[in-house]
Amino acid sequence: MAAARTSTTISLPLASRLTTAVFSLMLGAFIVYGVGLSHSETMHDTAHDTRHSYGFPCH
Amino acid sequence: MLVRYLLATIVAGLFAGILLTPAMYVRTVPLILHAEEYENAGGHEHSHDAAAAAVPHEHEEEASPALPFGRLGNTLLINLVAGAGFALMTGAAALFLGRRITLQNGIYWGLAGFFIFNLAPAFSLAPELPAMPAADLAARQAWWLVTVVLSAGGVYLIVLRNEIWARIAGVLLIVAPHVYGAPQAQNLNSAVPATLASEFAVSTLATNLFFWIVLGTALGWAIQQYAQSELDA
Repeated sequence: MAAARTSTTISLPLASRLTTAVFSLMLGAFIVYGVGLSHSETMHDTAHDTRHSYGFPCH
Repeated sequence: MLVRYLLATIVAGLFAGILLTPAMYVRTVPLILHAEEYENAGGHEHSHDAAAAAVPHEHEEEASPALPFGRLGNTLLINLVAGAGFALMTGAAALFLGRRITLQNGIYWGLAGFFIFNLAPAFSLAPELPAMPAADLAARQAWWLVTVVLSAGGVYLIVLRNEIWARIAGVLLIVAPHVYGAPQAQNLNSAVPATLASEFAVSTLATNLFFWIVLGTALGWAIQQYAQSELDA
């Protein structure tokens, strides 16, 4: 258990983590696109301060 | 599907998003508000179109289709959502790479995210205030996206590969978009004072560094706390 705690690799084979990894990446990318890059006016106006503060190209 | 892992990353992202909000309100939002004064004044001064000049800022805000939670509420909401988004992408990267984000190494994952999403794009495309001159939006967004993807590849090659060719390729990937150059505005005349702009650039990098350090550490903590059993299975 102590070894597992300090381990920095995952023993789980790639096949068992691939679905989660792909899903998580797609969902995360979709969210970041919506927050930072979407041209929708509602998204732009709502996310305005975050976009500027985060350094996303805005306006 | 590693559901506990996903939930742990989302929890960490929401936590970092909450903490980012007061940091923004201390450092960056006052500068955005200040710059907007110049935005409105500038529009009035430089516009030769009487109709355009007659449109006050209040009207703009009335017509704004932003969600109805107020400026602070909207920003908090977006920070929560954005935090979850960045957390999901970081968690996904670790899963792909077969690496475990822990409380000890979480800060390095955070620093990598900061470099990829904030520092690398900011080298050539400084964070902008409202009313600052800028090139075409779509072109800048495309450049931003390409730079983030290339920087992510570069960080992977430099940090996680030991071969010398990988290190060299990693540096090339990171440098390439800056050699190519970000889209720049034709005319650099700005209504926003330069000191305000430079203060803003530094402030955004500081708040985002804070956000990513919190996010990386929280990711390590949450994954260790809630998803350990899934990863050991």
